[in-house]
Amino acid sequence: MIARTRHLHDDRLVECYLTERHGDALDPPVAEHLSDCPSCTERYAELAQFMETVRAEGDADADALFTPERLHAQRQAIARRLQGIVRPARVISFPRRLVRRTMTASTSRMAPRWAAATAAAGLFVGVALGAGYEWGAHARSVRQTLAADASRASRVAPVAALGNSTSDLADDVFLSELEIALERPHTRELQAFDAFTPHVRPIRDESR
Amino acid sequence: MNNDMGIFPEPAAVRVDPDAGSAPAPAGARARRPGVAAPLSEASRVAIEIRALIERGEMDEARQRFGELVTLHQRRASRIAYQYLRDSADADEAVQDAFVKVFLHLPSYREAWPFEVWFTRILINGCLDRRKARTRRDRWFVGGEPSSADEARLAAADATPDPERRLLARERRARLAAAIERLDGRQRTVFTLCHYGDCTPREVSAMTGLNESTVRVHLFRAARKLRGLLGGKP
Ligand SMILES: [Zn+2]
Repeated sequence: MIARTRHLHDDRLVECYLTERHGDALDPPVAEHLSDCPSCTERYAELAQFMETVRAEGDADADALFTPERLHAQRQAIARRLQGIVRPARVISFPRRLVRRTMTASTSRMAPRWAAATAAAGLFVGVALGAGYEWGAHARSVRQTLAADASRASRVAPVAALGNSTSDLADDVFLSELEIALERPHTRELQAFDAFTPHVRPIRDESR
Repeated sequence: MNNDMGIFPEPAAVRVDPDAGSAPAPAGARARRPGVAAPLSEASRVAIEIRALIERGEMDEARQRFGELVTLHQRRASRIAYQYLRDSADADEAVQDAFVKVFLHLPSYREAWPFEVWFTRILINGCLDRRKARTRRDRWFVGGEPSSADEARLAAADATPDPERRLLARERRARLAAAIERLDGRQRTVFTLCHYGDCTPREVSAMTGLNESTVRVHLFRAARKLRGLLGGKP
Protein backbone atom coordinates (compact mmCIF):
# COMPACT_ATOMS: atom_id res chain seq x y z
CA MET A 1 0.00 0.00 0.00
CA ILE A 2 1.40 3.37 -0.94
CA ALA A 3 0.59 6.19 1.38
CA ARG A 4 -1.13 9.03 -0.37
CA THR A 5 1.39 11.53 0.93
CA ARG A 6 4.46 9.76 -0.41
CA HIS A 7 5.42 10.35 -3.99
CA LEU A 8 6.30 7.45 -6.23
CA HIS A 9 9.97 6.65 -6.42
CA ASP A 10 11.61 6.77 -9.88
CA ASP A 11 12.16 3.02 -9.75
CA ARG A 12 8.48 2.55 -9.20
CA LEU A 13 7.78 4.74 -12.21
CA VAL A 14 10.08 2.58 -14.34
CA GLU A 15 8.12 -0.38 -13.07
CA CYS A 16 4.89 1.32 -14.09
CA TYR A 17 6.26 2.03 -17.53
CA LEU A 18 7.24 -1.60 -18.03
CA THR A 19 3.94 -2.85 -16.72
CA GLU A 20 1.96 -0.69 -19.08
CA ARG A 21 4.24 -1.41 -22.00
CA HIS A 22 3.47 -5.07 -21.67
CA GLY A 23 -0.22 -4.33 -21.61
CA ASP A 24 -0.86 -4.95 -17.94
CA ALA A 25 -2.80 -2.76 -15.55
CA LEU A 26 -1.03 -0.83 -12.82
CA ASP A 27 -1.55 -1.74 -9.21
CA PRO A 28 -4.63 0.14 -8.03
CA PRO A 29 -2.88 2.19 -5.32
CA VAL A 30 -0.20 3.24 -7.79
CA ALA A 31 -2.76 4.07 -10.45
CA GLU A 32 -4.72 6.03 -7.90
CA HIS A 33 -1.69 8.01 -6.83
CA LEU A 34 -0.86 8.80 -10.44
CA SER A 35 -4.39 10.02 -10.99
CA ASP A 36 -4.31 12.27 -7.96
CA CYS A 37 -0.78 13.61 -7.98
CA PRO A 38 0.15 16.08 -10.73
CA SER A 39 3.80 15.97 -9.72
CA CYS A 40 4.12 12.20 -10.12
CA THR A 41 2.04 12.31 -13.28
CA GLU A 42 4.45 14.77 -14.79
CA ARG A 43 7.49 12.78 -13.68
CA TYR A 44 5.97 9.64 -15.11
CA ALA A 45 5.23 11.35 -18.39
CA GLU A 46 8.82 12.56 -18.63
CA LEU A 47 10.22 9.17 -17.84
CA ALA A 48 7.96 7.39 -20.28
CA GLN A 49 8.79 9.90 -22.97
CA PHE A 50 12.47 9.34 -22.36
CA MET A 51 12.18 5.57 -22.43
CA GLU A 52 10.04 5.60 -25.54
CA THR A 53 12.43 7.93 -27.29
CA VAL A 54 15.40 5.75 -26.48
CA ARG A 55 13.53 2.71 -27.69
CA ALA A 56 12.25 4.30 -30.86
CA GLU A 57 15.66 5.68 -31.77
CA GLY A 58 17.32 2.31 -31.31
CA ASP A 59 14.65 0.45 -33.18
CA ALA A 60 14.65 2.99 -35.97
CA ASP A 61 18.36 2.48 -36.56
CA ALA A 62 18.10 -1.29 -36.52
CA ASP A 63 15.11 -1.18 -38.84
CA ALA A 64 16.85 1.20 -41.22
CA LEU A 65 19.73 -1.25 -41.46
CA PHE A 66 17.64 -4.41 -41.55
CA THR A 67 15.45 -3.47 -44.46
CA PRO A 68 12.87 -5.92 -45.83
CA GLU A 69 15.36 -6.79 -48.58
CA ARG A 70 18.05 -7.51 -46.07
CA LEU A 71 15.75 -9.62 -43.94
CA HIS A 72 14.81 -11.53 -47.06
CA ALA A 73 18.48 -12.12 -47.80
CA GLN A 74 18.93 -13.22 -44.21
CA ARG A 75 16.15 -15.79 -44.57
CA GLN A 76 17.73 -17.08 -47.74
CA ALA A 77 21.15 -17.34 -46.13
CA ILE A 78 19.67 -19.30 -43.23
CA ALA A 79 17.83 -21.59 -45.64
CA ARG A 80 21.08 -22.25 -47.52
CA ARG A 81 22.89 -23.10 -44.31
CA LEU A 82 20.10 -25.42 -43.23
CA GLN A 83 20.42 -27.30 -46.50
CA GLY A 84 23.78 -28.54 -45.28
CA ILE A 85 22.21 -30.19 -42.25
CA VAL A 86 21.29 -33.74 -43.06
CA ARG A 87 20.56 -35.10 -39.64
CA PRO A 88 19.33 -33.57 -36.42
CA ALA A 89 21.53 -33.09 -33.40
CA ARG A 90 21.59 -35.52 -30.54
CA VAL A 91 18.76 -35.29 -28.08
CA ILE A 92 19.71 -33.95 -24.69
CA SER A 93 17.46 -34.21 -21.71
CA PHE A 94 15.58 -31.03 -21.21
CA PRO A 95 14.51 -29.22 -18.08
CA ARG A 96 10.90 -29.68 -17.13
CA ARG A 97 9.74 -26.46 -15.62
CA LEU A 98 9.71 -22.92 -16.82
CA VAL A 99 7.55 -19.93 -17.50
CA ARG A 100 5.41 -20.13 -20.54
CA ARG A 101 4.08 -17.07 -22.20
CA THR A 102 3.44 -15.77 -25.63
CA MET A 103 5.93 -13.02 -26.13
CA THR A 104 3.95 -9.96 -26.96
CA ALA A 105 4.77 -7.49 -29.62
CA SER A 106 5.97 -4.11 -28.52
CA THR A 107 2.53 -2.61 -28.67
CA SER A 108 0.50 -2.68 -25.53
CA ARG A 109 -2.92 -4.16 -25.34
CA MET A 110 -4.02 -1.29 -23.17
CA ALA A 111 -3.61 2.38 -23.81
CA PRO A 112 -0.71 3.25 -21.60
CA ARG A 113 -1.30 5.83 -18.94
CA TRP A 114 1.73 7.81 -20.04
CA ALA A 115 0.08 8.49 -23.39
CA ALA A 116 -2.56 10.50 -21.59
CA ALA A 117 -0.07 11.78 -19.11
CA THR A 118 2.32 13.12 -21.72
CA ALA A 119 -0.54 14.87 -23.44
CA ALA A 120 -1.73 16.31 -20.14
CA ALA A 121 1.72 17.53 -19.31
CA GLY A 122 2.08 19.12 -22.71
CA LEU A 123 4.79 16.67 -23.67
CA PHE A 124 5.08 14.65 -26.79
CA VAL A 125 7.11 11.64 -27.71
CA GLY A 126 8.86 13.55 -30.40
CA VAL A 127 11.03 10.92 -31.92
CA ALA A 128 10.27 11.79 -35.49
CA LEU A 129 10.78 15.42 -34.75
CA GLY A 130 14.06 14.74 -33.06
CA ALA A 131 12.72 16.29 -29.89
CA GLY A 132 13.94 13.68 -27.48
CA TYR A 133 16.26 14.56 -24.68
CA GLU A 134 18.08 17.86 -24.65
CA TRP A 135 18.46 17.80 -28.42
CA GLY A 136 17.37 21.39 -28.70
CA ALA A 137 20.40 22.74 -26.95
CA HIS A 138 22.49 20.32 -28.86
CA ALA A 139 21.26 21.60 -32.18
CA ARG A 140 22.94 24.94 -31.67
CA SER A 141 26.33 23.41 -31.12
CA VAL A 142 25.84 21.20 -34.13
CA ARG A 143 25.15 24.20 -36.29
CA GLN A 144 28.45 25.65 -35.17
CA THR A 145 30.17 22.37 -35.80
CA LEU A 146 28.76 22.27 -39.28
CA ALA A 147 29.91 25.75 -40.03
CA ALA A 148 33.32 25.12 -38.61
CA ASP A 149 34.21 21.85 -40.17
CA ALA A 150 31.88 19.55 -42.01
CA SER A 151 34.46 16.83 -42.27
CA ARG A 152 34.62 16.44 -38.52
CA ALA A 153 31.03 15.44 -38.68
CA SER A 154 31.75 11.83 -39.37
CA ARG A 155 33.31 11.42 -35.96
CA VAL A 156 31.16 13.31 -33.54
CA ALA A 157 32.26 12.31 -30.10
CA PRO A 158 29.84 10.09 -28.29
CA VAL A 159 29.19 10.51 -24.59
CA ALA A 160 32.50 8.90 -23.83
CA ALA A 161 34.46 6.24 -25.57
CA LEU A 162 35.34 4.55 -22.36
CA GLY A 163 36.50 1.66 -24.43
CA ASN A 164 35.75 -1.97 -24.53
CA SER A 165 37.87 -3.03 -21.62
CA THR A 166 35.42 -1.70 -19.08
CA SER A 167 32.33 -3.07 -20.69
CA ASP A 168 34.04 -6.31 -21.54
CA LEU A 169 35.08 -6.75 -17.98
CA ALA A 170 31.52 -6.03 -17.04
CA ASP A 171 30.40 -8.74 -19.44
CA ASP A 172 32.76 -11.14 -17.78
CA VAL A 173 31.44 -10.19 -14.39
CA PHE A 174 27.94 -10.62 -15.71
CA LEU A 175 28.68 -14.03 -17.13
CA SER A 176 30.37 -15.05 -13.92
CA GLU A 177 27.29 -14.02 -12.05
CA LEU A 178 25.23 -15.98 -14.49
CA GLU A 179 27.30 -18.98 -13.68
CA ILE A 180 26.79 -18.43 -9.99
CA ALA A 181 23.11 -17.92 -10.61
CA LEU A 182 22.99 -21.18 -12.50
CA GLU A 183 24.30 -23.00 -9.50
CA ARG A 184 21.45 -21.84 -7.38
CA PRO A 185 18.90 -24.60 -7.00
CA HIS A 186 16.02 -22.81 -8.69
CA THR A 187 17.98 -22.22 -11.85
CA ARG A 188 19.66 -25.59 -12.08
CA GLU A 189 17.51 -26.47 -15.06
CA LEU A 190 19.27 -23.79 -17.07
CA GLN A 191 22.43 -25.87 -17.05
CA ALA A 192 20.85 -28.44 -19.30
CA PHE A 193 19.70 -25.58 -21.41
CA ASP A 194 23.22 -24.33 -21.89
CA ALA A 195 24.55 -27.78 -22.57
CA PHE A 196 22.96 -27.51 -25.94
CA THR A 197 23.68 -23.89 -26.58
CA PRO A 198 26.77 -24.45 -28.68
CA HIS A 199 29.13 -21.81 -29.89
CA VAL A 200 29.57 -20.18 -33.22
CA ARG A 201 32.53 -22.11 -34.54
CA PRO A 202 31.34 -25.71 -34.24
CA ILE A 203 28.00 -24.72 -35.68
CA ARG A 204 29.59 -23.07 -38.64
CA ASP A 205 31.73 -26.11 -39.26
CA GLU A 206 28.66 -28.29 -39.13
CA SER A 207 26.50 -26.24 -41.37
CA ARG A 208 28.74 -24.71 -43.98
CA MET B 1 39.27 -14.57 -20.99
CA ASN B 2 39.10 -18.29 -21.21
CA ASN B 3 35.86 -18.34 -23.05
CA ASP B 4 36.57 -20.55 -26.00
CA MET B 5 34.93 -23.63 -24.67
CA GLY B 6 31.85 -22.52 -22.89
CA ILE B 7 29.46 -19.66 -22.60
CA PHE B 8 30.35 -19.30 -18.98
CA PRO B 9 33.90 -18.42 -17.99
CA GLU B 10 35.68 -19.75 -14.97
CA PRO B 11 33.89 -18.75 -11.82
CA ALA B 12 35.31 -15.47 -10.61
CA ALA B 13 35.34 -14.13 -7.13
CA VAL B 14 32.19 -12.23 -7.76
CA ARG B 15 29.14 -12.27 -5.62
CA VAL B 16 25.66 -11.90 -6.88
CA ASP B 17 24.50 -8.44 -5.93
CA PRO B 18 23.33 -8.63 -2.33
CA ASP B 19 21.09 -5.61 -2.90
CA ALA B 20 19.10 -7.52 -5.41
CA GLY B 21 16.74 -8.84 -2.84
CA SER B 22 15.78 -5.40 -1.68
CA ALA B 23 14.32 -4.44 -5.02
CA PRO B 24 11.02 -2.66 -5.00
CA ALA B 25 8.08 -4.97 -5.20
CA PRO B 26 7.34 -5.81 -8.80
CA ALA B 27 4.05 -3.98 -8.73
CA GLY B 28 1.98 -7.10 -9.02
CA ALA B 29 3.16 -7.88 -12.53
CA ARG B 30 4.00 -11.42 -11.49
CA ALA B 31 0.54 -11.99 -10.10
CA ARG B 32 -1.00 -10.88 -13.33
CA ARG B 33 1.25 -13.06 -15.42
CA PRO B 34 0.58 -16.63 -14.45
CA GLY B 35 3.25 -18.12 -16.67
CA VAL B 36 2.53 -21.79 -16.28
CA ALA B 37 -1.10 -21.64 -17.23
CA ALA B 38 -0.53 -19.50 -20.31
CA PRO B 39 -1.11 -21.19 -23.64
CA LEU B 40 1.72 -22.19 -25.92
CA SER B 41 2.91 -19.40 -28.13
CA GLU B 42 2.56 -19.67 -31.85
CA ALA B 43 6.32 -20.04 -32.17
CA SER B 44 6.42 -22.82 -29.58
CA ARG B 45 3.71 -24.73 -31.41
CA VAL B 46 5.52 -24.40 -34.73
CA ALA B 47 8.74 -25.52 -33.06
CA ILE B 48 7.03 -28.64 -31.74
CA GLU B 49 5.67 -29.43 -35.19
CA ILE B 50 9.11 -29.03 -36.72
CA ARG B 51 10.58 -31.27 -34.06
CA ALA B 52 8.10 -33.97 -35.04
CA LEU B 53 9.03 -33.57 -38.70
CA ILE B 54 12.70 -33.93 -37.86
CA GLU B 55 12.00 -37.01 -35.80
CA ARG B 56 10.24 -38.54 -38.79
CA GLY B 57 13.18 -37.61 -41.00
CA GLU B 58 11.11 -35.22 -43.09
CA MET B 59 13.90 -32.71 -43.32
CA ASP B 60 12.72 -30.76 -46.35
CA GLU B 61 9.36 -30.11 -44.74
CA ALA B 62 11.07 -29.31 -41.44
CA ARG B 63 13.27 -26.75 -43.12
CA GLN B 64 10.32 -25.20 -44.83
CA ARG B 65 8.33 -24.86 -41.62
CA PHE B 66 11.38 -23.48 -39.91
CA GLY B 67 11.23 -20.58 -42.33
CA GLU B 68 8.05 -19.53 -40.53
CA LEU B 69 9.90 -19.27 -37.25
CA VAL B 70 12.64 -17.28 -38.91
CA THR B 71 10.12 -14.88 -40.41
CA LEU B 72 8.37 -14.54 -37.08
CA HIS B 73 11.49 -13.71 -35.09
CA GLN B 74 14.16 -12.33 -37.34
CA ARG B 75 13.27 -8.65 -36.95
CA ARG B 76 13.25 -8.76 -33.17
CA ALA B 77 16.41 -10.88 -33.23
CA SER B 78 18.14 -8.42 -35.53
CA ARG B 79 17.23 -5.51 -33.27
CA ILE B 80 18.65 -7.27 -30.24
CA ALA B 81 21.79 -8.39 -32.04
CA TYR B 82 22.37 -4.94 -33.48
CA GLN B 83 22.12 -3.35 -30.04
CA TYR B 84 24.78 -5.74 -28.80
CA LEU B 85 27.12 -5.59 -31.73
CA ARG B 86 26.56 -2.20 -33.38
CA ASP B 87 27.53 -3.67 -36.69
CA SER B 88 24.75 -4.91 -38.88
CA ALA B 89 26.92 -7.40 -40.76
CA ASP B 90 28.02 -8.93 -37.48
CA ALA B 91 24.48 -8.83 -36.13
CA ASP B 92 23.20 -10.47 -39.30
CA GLU B 93 25.63 -13.35 -38.84
CA ALA B 94 24.79 -13.67 -35.17
CA VAL B 95 21.11 -13.96 -36.03
CA GLN B 96 21.82 -16.54 -38.71
CA ASP B 97 23.96 -18.54 -36.33
CA ALA B 98 21.28 -18.48 -33.67
CA PHE B 99 18.65 -19.81 -36.07
CA VAL B 100 20.96 -22.52 -37.35
CA LYS B 101 21.77 -23.56 -33.79
CA VAL B 102 18.11 -23.67 -32.94
CA PHE B 103 17.33 -25.87 -35.93
CA LEU B 104 20.19 -28.19 -35.11
CA HIS B 105 18.98 -28.60 -31.58
CA LEU B 106 15.26 -28.67 -32.12
CA PRO B 107 15.09 -32.36 -31.22
CA SER B 108 15.97 -31.25 -27.70
CA TYR B 109 13.26 -28.62 -27.61
CA ARG B 110 10.55 -29.19 -25.03
CA GLU B 111 7.32 -27.27 -24.80
CA ALA B 112 7.98 -26.48 -21.15
CA TRP B 113 10.24 -23.78 -22.54
CA PRO B 114 8.77 -20.90 -24.48
CA PHE B 115 10.48 -20.95 -27.84
CA GLU B 116 11.15 -17.22 -27.58
CA VAL B 117 13.09 -17.63 -24.36
CA TRP B 118 15.11 -20.51 -25.74
CA PHE B 119 15.91 -18.75 -28.98
CA THR B 120 16.76 -15.42 -27.36
CA ARG B 121 19.13 -17.01 -24.91
CA ILE B 122 20.97 -18.72 -27.73
CA LEU B 123 21.09 -15.42 -29.59
CA ILE B 124 22.51 -13.38 -26.72
CA ASN B 125 25.09 -16.02 -25.92
CA GLY B 126 26.23 -15.81 -29.53
CA CYS B 127 26.31 -12.03 -29.41
CA LEU B 128 28.40 -12.00 -26.25
CA ASP B 129 30.80 -14.46 -27.88
CA ARG B 130 31.12 -12.19 -30.85
CA ARG B 131 31.77 -9.12 -28.74
CA LYS B 132 34.56 -10.94 -26.99
CA ALA B 133 36.03 -12.29 -30.21
CA ARG B 134 35.95 -8.84 -31.75
CA THR B 135 37.69 -7.29 -28.78
CA ARG B 136 40.41 -9.91 -28.94
CA ARG B 137 40.81 -9.43 -32.67
CA ASP B 138 40.78 -5.68 -32.73
CA ARG B 139 42.05 -3.90 -29.70
CA TRP B 140 41.02 -0.56 -31.22
CA PHE B 141 37.45 -1.68 -31.36
CA VAL B 142 35.27 0.82 -29.54
CA GLY B 143 31.90 -0.60 -28.72
CA GLY B 144 28.93 1.59 -29.36
CA GLU B 145 30.01 3.27 -32.56
CA PRO B 146 28.24 2.10 -35.68
CA SER B 147 30.58 0.72 -38.33
CA SER B 148 31.40 2.99 -41.24
CA ALA B 149 29.42 0.72 -43.56
CA ASP B 150 26.40 1.11 -41.31
CA GLU B 151 26.88 4.87 -41.09
CA ALA B 152 26.79 4.98 -44.87
CA ARG B 153 23.67 2.81 -44.96
CA LEU B 154 21.94 4.94 -42.34
CA ALA B 155 22.86 8.12 -44.16
CA ALA B 156 21.49 6.67 -47.38
CA ALA B 157 18.31 5.59 -45.64
CA ASP B 158 17.80 9.06 -44.21
CA ALA B 159 15.51 10.84 -46.61
CA THR B 160 16.13 14.23 -45.01
CA PRO B 161 17.79 16.50 -47.52
CA ASP B 162 18.85 18.85 -44.73
CA PRO B 163 22.48 18.12 -43.82
CA GLU B 164 22.03 19.72 -40.43
CA ARG B 165 19.23 17.35 -39.52
CA ARG B 166 21.21 14.42 -40.81
CA LEU B 167 24.11 15.40 -38.64
CA LEU B 168 21.83 15.79 -35.64
CA ALA B 169 20.42 12.33 -36.27
CA ARG B 170 23.90 10.91 -36.43
CA GLU B 171 24.85 12.62 -33.21
CA ARG B 172 21.77 11.28 -31.48
CA ARG B 173 22.67 7.78 -32.61
CA ALA B 174 26.23 8.14 -31.42
CA ARG B 175 25.22 9.51 -28.04
CA LEU B 176 22.56 6.92 -27.44
CA ALA B 177 24.82 4.06 -28.50
CA ALA B 178 27.66 5.34 -26.36
CA ALA B 179 25.38 5.73 -23.37
CA ILE B 180 24.12 2.17 -23.71
CA GLU B 181 27.71 1.04 -24.10
CA ARG B 182 28.53 2.62 -20.77
CA LEU B 183 26.06 0.47 -18.92
CA ASP B 184 27.70 -2.43 -17.22
CA GLY B 185 27.29 -5.85 -18.80
CA ARG B 186 24.30 -6.94 -16.74
CA GLN B 187 22.53 -3.65 -17.10
CA ARG B 188 23.11 -3.61 -20.83
CA THR B 189 21.85 -7.13 -21.32
CA VAL B 190 18.79 -6.63 -19.18
CA PHE B 191 18.02 -3.26 -20.73
CA THR B 192 18.52 -4.54 -24.27
CA LEU B 193 16.30 -7.55 -23.75
CA CYS B 194 13.54 -5.64 -22.00
CA HIS B 195 13.69 -2.55 -24.11
CA TYR B 196 14.61 -3.72 -27.58
CA GLY B 197 13.67 -7.36 -27.27
CA ASP B 198 10.25 -6.70 -25.74
CA CYS B 199 10.92 -9.21 -23.01
CA THR B 200 9.30 -9.01 -19.61
CA PRO B 201 11.56 -9.10 -16.55
CA ARG B 202 10.31 -12.61 -15.98
CA GLU B 203 11.41 -13.71 -19.42
CA VAL B 204 14.78 -12.03 -18.96
CA SER B 205 15.05 -13.90 -15.70
CA ALA B 206 14.45 -17.18 -17.53
CA MET B 207 16.97 -16.25 -20.23
CA THR B 208 19.76 -15.18 -17.92
CA GLY B 209 19.23 -17.24 -14.79
CA LEU B 210 19.22 -14.04 -12.74
CA ASN B 211 16.29 -13.86 -10.42
CA GLU B 212 13.49 -11.59 -11.37
CA SER B 213 14.07 -8.97 -8.71
CA THR B 214 17.72 -8.74 -9.77
CA VAL B 215 16.59 -8.20 -13.34
CA ARG B 216 14.39 -5.35 -12.18
CA VAL B 217 17.17 -3.77 -10.19
CA HIS B 218 19.46 -3.82 -13.22
CA LEU B 219 16.71 -2.33 -15.28
CA PHE B 220 16.11 0.52 -12.84
CA ARG B 221 19.81 1.24 -12.66
CA ALA B 222 20.13 1.17 -16.43
CA ALA B 223 17.25 3.60 -16.83
CA ARG B 224 18.66 5.91 -14.17
CA LYS B 225 22.13 5.87 -15.69
CA LEU B 226 20.88 6.47 -19.21
CA ARG B 227 18.78 9.39 -18.08
CA GLY B 228 21.80 10.83 -16.34
CA LEU B 229 24.01 10.36 -19.38
CA LEU B 230 21.54 11.57 -21.95
CA GLY B 231 20.21 14.54 -20.07
CA GLY B 232 16.85 13.20 -19.03
CA LYS B 233 16.06 13.93 -15.43
CA PRO B 234 17.84 11.38 -13.26
ZN1 LIG C 1 3.11 11.90 -6.14
